[in-house]
Amino acid sequence: MKETPHEIKIHNNLKAGVISIDGFLGDDSRHYHEIIVEDRNELLKLNTTTEELADRMNYFTEISFEHYEGSVLIDDHYEVEYRSYRGKILCPFFHPGLFRKGEIFLYNKKNDIRICWTPLNIHMIREHCFLEGKGSKHRLEPKELYRSLFE
Amino acid sequence: MIVVIVNTVLIVSGISGLLALLLVIADMLFANYGECKININGKKELNLKGGSSLLTLLNESGIYLASACGGRGSCGFCKCKITQGGGPLLPTEKPFLNKTEINNQIRLSCQVKVKEDISIEIPEDIFNIRKFKARVTDIKDLTYDIKELTLQLIKPDSIDFKPGQYIQLEAPPYEKSKQPVSRAYSISNAPFEKDFIQLIIRLVPDGLCTTYVFEYLQVNDIVNVTGPFGDFYIRDTQADMLFIAGGSGKAPIKSMLEYLVKNKSRRKMVYMFGAQTKKDLYYTALLEKYEKELLDFTYVPVLSKPTQECEWEGKCGYIPPYFPEYIKDPKNTEAYLCGSPGMIAAVIKGLKENGVPEDKIYYDSFA
Amino acid sequence: MEINAFIIFIAAIFTSNILLTNFLGMCSFLSVSREVESSLGLGLAVFFVMTFTTAINFVVYHFILVPLNIIYLQYIIFIIVIAAFVQLTEMIIERFSPVLYYTLGIFLPLITVNCAILGVSLFLVIRDYNFLQSVLYGAGSGIGWFIAILALAGIRQKVKYNYVPAGLQGAGLSLIITGIMALAFIGFSGIVVIQ
Repeated sequence: MKETPHEIKIHNNLKAGVISIDGFLGDDSRHYHEIIVEDRNELLKLNTTTEELADRMNYFTEISFEHYEGSVLIDDHYEVEYRSYRGKILCPFFHPGLFRKGEIFLYNKKNDIRICWTPLNIHMIREHCFLEGKGSKHRLEPKELYRSLFE
Repeated sequence: MIVVIVNTVLIVSGISGLLALLLVIADMLFANYGECKININGKKELNLKGGSSLLTLLNESGIYLASACGGRGSCGFCKCKITQGGGPLLPTEKPFLNKTEINNQIRLSCQVKVKEDISIEIPEDIFNIRKFKARVTDIKDLTYDIKELTLQLIKPDSIDFKPGQYIQLEAPPYEKSKQPVSRAYSISNAPFEKDFIQLIIRLVPDGLCTTYVFEYLQVNDIVNVTGPFGDFYIRDTQADMLFIAGGSGKAPIKSMLEYLVKNKSRRKMVYMFGAQTKKDLYYTALLEKYEKELLDFTYVPVLSKPTQECEWEGKCGYIPPYFPEYIKDPKNTEAYLCGSPGMIAAVIKGLKENGVPEDKIYYDSFA
Repeated sequence: MEINAFIIFIAAIFTSNILLTNFLGMCSFLSVSREVESSLGLGLAVFFVMTFTTAINFVVYHFILVPLNIIYLQYIIFIIVIAAFVQLTEMIIERFSPVLYYTLGIFLPLITVNCAILGVSLFLVIRDYNFLQSVLYGAGSGIGWFIAILALAGIRQKVKYNYVPAGLQGAGLSLIITGIMALAFIGFSGIVVIQ
């Protein structure tokens, strides 16, 4: 299908070696629009919104950010660690501004789920409902993400 | 029949040719902006061929505005004041500018196309920034994920920088990266030998530039560096100095210390370095040597996660709780911080609680 | 055919909407209707190009193709003329109005090969319109296309936040919406009829 010039640029940004070394699409052959639509459906099934997810992720991110070295136990059963790296990364959807490079590791002790996200992930979920393509390093499966954050 | 075919071909090519000619003429008329003058700060004037972005034209003339996205209009770093001839503000610039900036005629230089004579204002420091060709003379492992890079400057062959400033290293396109990318790294040597620079680089997972340095860069390779940038450097006063660093944040502080050692500084100095385990510590011998050479210098490594095999007998935990022990005269203390944003936020909070004035806290957050 | 040019204009917008009755220009219609903002830009670009290319193609047809007796070449010639016009417009806009370029200009290359634009030029030949009729027909069709894509984009923006069964996601649902919109536009057919 035809893409607008803007979409072509976004598509290019999502590829490997442009903004990040492995790209955001992984080995997913779907168009990024399809990925977004399908994940949005998943979220509707889970009865949650991108806002709710992003806010919750932000909550853990900010607490672990203050405990910059090592992990911290939040709300009894969430073990969270913030690892920061030098530099900042751009939003592939051309949103203004730069996002910190880092990884937040969350271990939910109750249901034994481990997930990892980046500050850019939070932005992409909130603004674009983009949870990255399957096989991408920071792909977040809606169901798993929801369970790890809220259970 | 043949006549019809020939006729058709002739007519179609005739009309296409005519339209093509029209487009060529239009291209000459409309897309050719001729020579344009760029007036900088009312002092310097450049005569350049118009039609490209202001950022590109300035770069080509050896004036380097900071840019992190390579002119894609998504980082908002390349702001500059255009007093005349920049054309109207574009929708692509608006999200990056606030009201005061718009009123002050600040624009994004990567979005402004030079189509006529224009006048711009940029800080004088920018003229000191140059692009260097440099040869890699040494790559050394400092820890499992930190390397020290030594670069011999070839052209131009000397650099003027203040200890604490950083440069941008350009990684050319390689197997995993489609276009050249530039990333900022602090200079770790003192500015005495002007013909080489050292960088301390920590591997960034998935980083386009650090992966290049760690996996592809070889001794004797030629690289491009641009610099120096940054306002994180030693203030020339007699105040006590407190250096605090974490991770690869040692680079600018090492440069500062080397400078102070060479100048036989008599200022009181404390250097607190935060790391997780003993294997994250490096340059320990060098710093112990500095302790002997400097009149009043203490090196305090603090480990947050010392393990059994570390056999660590030094300080443990976070840095801020140790401030009362090392800050003797808070009003007369300058703090130089370098490390992760989380650490810097916590340290600034701790310093303020201990009475260090905010305007004497200088830092280099992982920009 | 002697129909009032103004009637043709109204009819082109509502009753014989080039998109919803002839289903021309579907490709960009489906792919650029995700957001209202970009559909606005594309719609304007189509309106602009359609109006001018009908005028130019009318002149080309009646003063070049007919006298030279090469009417059978109209398809090729029309396409070349449209492409050249789009190129030229893009250049002029970029030079003189950077702001307009970012809202409208970036969509111009997309519509060089838009079949609705070629379709309009061909219809004016088939229906034997005079110059005024042709131009108003082109402008009307452009507005009609603009309204249609704007409506679809508006609906799709709403649909985005609702659950859509897997098989209908994307183009599937958009085509169904377009079909329903076409049915709705039939309601206008009592107003005026051309053809």
